[in-house]
Amino acid sequence: MRKLGIVALGAAAALTLAGCASGGTGGEEGAEIRVWLVGTDTPDEAREYLVDTFEEEHPGSTLVIEEQSWEGLVDRLTTSLSGSDSPDVVEVGNTQASAFTSAGAFLDITEYYDELGGDDLLPGFVEAGSYDDKFYAAPLYSGSRLVFYKKDALAAAGLSVPTTLDDYVANGKALAAANPGKSGIWWPGQDWYNALPFIWENGGEVAVPDGEEWDAQLSSAESVAGLTQVQDVMTNASAAPKDANETGPEVGFCDGTTLQLSAPSWVKWSILAPADAEAPGCPDQEANLGVYALPGKDGGAAQVFAGGSNIGVSAKSAHPDLAVDALKIILSDEFQTIYGKGGLVPAKLSLADTLGTDEVAQAIAAAAGNAKLTPASPKWADVEAAGILQDLFVKIAQGGDVQSLAEAADEEIEAILNS
Amino acid sequence: MTTVDSELEPVPSAVSGERLTAPRPKPAGRPRRRQGGFTPYALLTPALIVLALIVGWPLIQLIITSFQKFGRAQVFGAPPEWVWLENYAKVLTDPVFYGVLSRTLVFAAACVVLTMLVGTLIALMMTRLPKTFRTLLSVGMLLAWAMPALTATVVWGWMFDTAYGVINHVLVNTFGLEEYFQHSWLIDPLSFFFVAGIIIVWGAVPFTAFTLYAGLTQVPDEVLEAAQLDGAGGFQRFRLIIFPYLKPVFLIVTILQVIWDLRVFTQIFALQDIGGIRALTSTLGVYIYQTSIAGGEFGQGGAIAVVTAILLMSISIYYVRQVTKEEEL
Amino acid sequence: MSATVAPGQKVGGLFAEAAPTDLAKRTGGGRRRLTTWVLSAVSVVLFLLFVFPVYWMVNTSFQPNNAIRGSDIHYWPDNFTLRNYETVLFDPGRTPFLPAAGNSLVITILTVIIALVFAFLASIAVTRFRFASRRTFIIVILVVQMIPGEAMIVSIFRVIDGWHLLNTIAGLTLVYIATVLPFTIWTLRGFVNGVPVELEEAAMIDGCSRAGAFWRVTFPLLAPGLVATGVFGFIQAWNEFIMALVLNARPEMMTLPVWLRTFLVSTGTTNWAAIMAGSTLMAIPVIVFFLIVQGRMTSGLVSGAVKG
Repeated sequence: MRKLGIVALGAAAALTLAGCASGGTGGEEGAEIRVWLVGTDTPDEAREYLVDTFEEEHPGSTLVIEEQSWEGLVDRLTTSLSGSDSPDVVEVGNTQASAFTSAGAFLDITEYYDELGGDDLLPGFVEAGSYDDKFYAAPLYSGSRLVFYKKDALAAAGLSVPTTLDDYVANGKALAAANPGKSGIWWPGQDWYNALPFIWENGGEVAVPDGEEWDAQLSSAESVAGLTQVQDVMTNASAAPKDANETGPEVGFCDGTTLQLSAPSWVKWSILAPADAEAPGCPDQEANLGVYALPGKDGGAAQVFAGGSNIGVSAKSAHPDLAVDALKIILSDEFQTIYGKGGLVPAKLSLADTLGTDEVAQAIAAAAGNAKLTPASPKWADVEAAGILQDLFVKIAQGGDVQSLAEAADEEIEAILNS
Repeated sequence: MTTVDSELEPVPSAVSGERLTAPRPKPAGRPRRRQGGFTPYALLTPALIVLALIVGWPLIQLIITSFQKFGRAQVFGAPPEWVWLENYAKVLTDPVFYGVLSRTLVFAAACVVLTMLVGTLIALMMTRLPKTFRTLLSVGMLLAWAMPALTATVVWGWMFDTAYGVINHVLVNTFGLEEYFQHSWLIDPLSFFFVAGIIIVWGAVPFTAFTLYAGLTQVPDEVLEAAQLDGAGGFQRFRLIIFPYLKPVFLIVTILQVIWDLRVFTQIFALQDIGGIRALTSTLGVYIYQTSIAGGEFGQGGAIAVVTAILLMSISIYYVRQVTKEEEL
Repeated sequence: MSATVAPGQKVGGLFAEAAPTDLAKRTGGGRRRLTTWVLSAVSVVLFLLFVFPVYWMVNTSFQPNNAIRGSDIHYWPDNFTLRNYETVLFDPGRTPFLPAAGNSLVITILTVIIALVFAFLASIAVTRFRFASRRTFIIVILVVQMIPGEAMIVSIFRVIDGWHLLNTIAGLTLVYIATVLPFTIWTLRGFVNGVPVELEEAAMIDGCSRAGAFWRVTFPLLAPGLVATGVFGFIQAWNEFIMALVLNARPEMMTLPVWLRTFLVSTGTTNWAAIMAGSTLMAIPVIVFFLIVQGRMTSGLVSGAVKG
């Protein structure tokens, strides 16, 4: 028996040793920098540029891009950033950034602020990436939401591009009525980003600071007016599943069941993807694809949600200097221009013209000029992670009572923000 | 749990295939154990080390954390603040927790009852099936059993898909039930748990049925024949004559199902990725995950975990007591 | 009379020749034959219910993505394509399948083997020896299974991190061993208990040492038990994904469940065909493994259960 025992212990020891050998990292020479980019928003061209430039500037070192998914990102960052095998540079949603800047997960990069772009950086995003007057996470890009529509469908229904939010709603309902079974405005229940402009344009807020505490405002008269409008669209203009999330907007657009939808600007490329791609699009619709910025209550562009990302260096990075260098490349004009060409708003104000001058670019510029953020609380990420807003809008899509649903959601939001 | 053997039937030996009569165990059925000195501890060492490191230590930390205000900042190194029972008070006064708890209990109970019922019926059926059909059924169940839980959830999620799922399609086109056109199966919590229940029962029945069937094959022929000659009714025959033989197997399978179904995580978690309202469909495991990892409230998550563990233990206390009694012999 | 299955007794494997209790053979008369027919019909229906999801997964995986989104349902892959498998296996834009499969396989096999060895030793200790804390140990083993593991993720993460075992095979294997150990010890203990000590003693009279007697006599009788408990370790390690998600975040260190979920959430529900191809690939090794060990599984379970 003793023999067996020794074998077993030996196996355990071997396990431990094997781990130790592979866990260590070398010195600065031949270092590996791991960059976490989230989702597929960053174009391949930008990724290649980052890797090539970095490895050229730092011979012997390598830069690896690890793509993460938005789903469960906060969970993974919480653990990964706190561990010794932390990724060096990580992208995080702008609304999630404060959860990590306030927790000390990011390296203080205040001293590089000017070098990274200084006051040229998107102000709202700089704010999202700062905490206690220190700068932790730089802006990466901003995506703005646009309305895509089928020109022929709008024309056939005798409608024109709406100039006010109310027109937009009326148009969507008219389109749906004229085309039974199709979406006048495609709006799956979980897509809460699109609901924010309705709240804001009606004078409502999600939550406002009240001294030390936060006061959730979804059940205020103004917000409820907006939410009621949302419910109107979801039930009378949308044929999208009431509980689905916003992935795959191009599918309905291409098979003809979606006549209009509000989505991030890069969805244009999903729609125009080759018909035989893995996620097929419909390039033949290019001439028929119209786009405009969501109109506000009183005309002009609506206050839309400024979705986008920040990027920071992990406080536990084994090679902070190299990581900061990688960050500099990411915020260089060359890198950021690639975002602009791809339809995303670059992190620098001075690069806004890289978006081009076509219809989409103008719409993006209009929308970005009036963009707004979610409550600036470190706990906001937890509200998102808990799925409170997704749940709320799924229930609204089902036709629930808006006032009582909003009150319940307010309670949940306050419970998290003030815990 | 141990049946006290008074007498062993001659059994075929797996070693040689010949019949051998196992030696008669001691009258009390009490296993004879040696005073081993140092040896038993040496034998336990590897298991103990692993358990102490990966279960014991984190468990202690979990309990400590449940008495602290422990958020994301503490994960990154800020010193935690002791709040003692505050987390517990919060959890125990939170209606959401009770919602999750009762949901978990009812759902687990339904799954266990259904699994055991269907499993037992299939096992009984298998004893009476011609070989070809029994083999066919076994192959089917083996495939279902072998499907990883995550894969199974994804596949069922696809079958119940709102827009392109085969189930809606069949209901509309074959049965003419127009209301199932684009019907969302996951949006209504009850319907969500219906789907989750199907996935869990579908995956758990094979294990139950196979095990009970194997147990049934141990019921001596004479007993079954005698039962038939007496003309006892089907259910009576099962309850009075067959079940006593099956009871030990039945009990352990039930206990396992209870533990597994109360701790269900993968199926619910993955199904929420596909659709459904998280707040209304979380079970304890998922709720703990959402509170601690996703929500950054590790102290509260710890408190929920401790409460849950105590609850699970009190539910299975009967079983634990049986074991303790046996060990005291 | 005893309800106990003696160790090593060949209890009907899943496909084994009908056990002596095969009632069907002894049936007679029209009513019985009718019952048999009805039952056979029911068994076919049940077979279809069990198999359909598996079939549907495979069926979908062989169809182009745009075909399965059409208004028609294809009950068989009439426009057969291997494209989804190409996407899953070789698409450079995605986390590749093969390394994940390799990680899963290595971790699972290591977990099963090491857990069995450790559990085997422990079960001998608790069944063959008397020592001070024996009872406590058994109760702890039982109670440990009732703690929700989700709550310990962060603590476990820190422990593993402390040894620099994040993103390694060893780290995850260690965690899985600890996860399956309590159940494995618990079940194996039943099996070892079922082997009469007298058999060993008889062998010792024949000149074997104590360890030798154990090794030659008791161990072979435990084979079905080892297989049965091994299967559970296998399922656990192969399917687990929350710990894997947290501990092995590097793409090259992912395991299959994490890979599948990444695939699911990154394509949303827009590429069901490829997701089904991935699911099929993940299920195949388990099915193969089950087919190999099927005969031993349930027999082991029963004797383990009865002695539990």
